[in-house]
Amino acid sequence: MEREKIKYTDEELVKRFQDGDERAYIELVKRYKDRLLNFVYRYLNSFEQSEDVVQDTLMKLYTSAHMYREIAKFSTWIFTIAANLAKSELRRLKRRRVISIHSMGFDDKEYEIPSVDYDPAKETTSNYGEKQIQQAIDTLPDQFKTVIILREVQQLSYEEISQILGISIGTVKSRINRGRLRLQKLLKELKEQ
Amino acid sequence: MDCYSFDRIISDYIDANLNVKLRQEANEHISVCPRCKEKLSDLKSILSELSSLPCRETRPDFESRLMDRINQTKEQKESRFIRVFQDYSRPISVIAAVMLLVATSIFVYTSVVIPNSPGSIPSAEIRSVEPKKSMTMPATTAANVRSTLVSTTNESNHPDTNKVETPNYNKQIMMVNE
Ligand SMILES: [Zn+2]
Repeated sequence: MEREKIKYTDEELVKRFQDGDERAYIELVKRYKDRLLNFVYRYLNSFEQSEDVVQDTLMKLYTSAHMYREIAKFSTWIFTIAANLAKSELRRLKRRRVISIHSMGFDDKEYEIPSVDYDPAKETTSNYGEKQIQQAIDTLPDQFKTVIILREVQQLSYEEISQILGISIGTVKSRINRGRLRLQKLLKELKEQ
Repeated sequence: MDCYSFDRIISDYIDANLNVKLRQEANEHISVCPRCKEKLSDLKSILSELSSLPCRETRPDFESRLMDRINQTKEQKESRFIRVFQDYSRPISVIAAVMLLVATSIFVYTSVVIPNSPGSIPSAEIRSVEPKKSMTMPATTAANVRSTLVSTTNESNHPDTNKVETPNYNKQIMMVNE
């Protein structure tokens, strides 16, 4: 049974689900839950909230699968939903952070999401280490952050990113180039601190 | 090629997206510019770290929580009225519905058969309209009850799941500041 399922492409599974086969939905959930989580997690830097966003994304898949048309790859379609939800969630988190800063009476202009488990101590296994890299990602402006995660973490093609974000391939290329350089600069600054 | 130009093509250089001529120029620049050479190797190592960041996994109960949410949504959408009729363990509901049907039939009967008196024009007007609706009473009632049930339960449960953002909407949302 399990081996039989693996033969289906994502697009075939959605088709089956659209035709009422719920097992196809569950198979899509299994295929995508962790992939989506890793995308959203790098974007939000919060496990709990990221899992919630992935849940919402997969709920939308359940309730709106009929809106999927085979003109798009399923992966780009589901990533688009996740990216939109993650973006709203990040805005909400930032707003909350701003409110809490104000209510505490700090006049702090910096309201990036705090990385809860950030440890400034440099990790020895690599050049920068996950925490420092994550902190740099958090600091990237949104337009660079999304493309960098989709490209470098998810290893998606320019074409796929262009479809997910609804921007031209030229814009994707330029954002990737600028995003990479920005990230490098941020990491350098973090290292020097 | 100068350092500024190299910065602009550094990504394409890494992704091997440059034509032969540009690549050659870039190589020549790196061979004489320690700053860009260093920058390139540093960026390459950052990108390789990014691609090998540890993966997070959803918690083991992720799927069961998702299915619970889905089942909740399903329950809202299912017609409870129809289920009541299918469920013989709830005869009271059936009796109530039958009584409603009988009451409506009497209403139809009196309004159609008993002639209207001149002093009761307002009620006669209502009665003359009502019979048409009453003829289809079981179906309309079912629909009414169902929609009431659905609308009340929807309000209490995950209001945002009704908002569907699909890729089509995405362009407007994502195309900020380029
Ligand atoms: Zn140079």
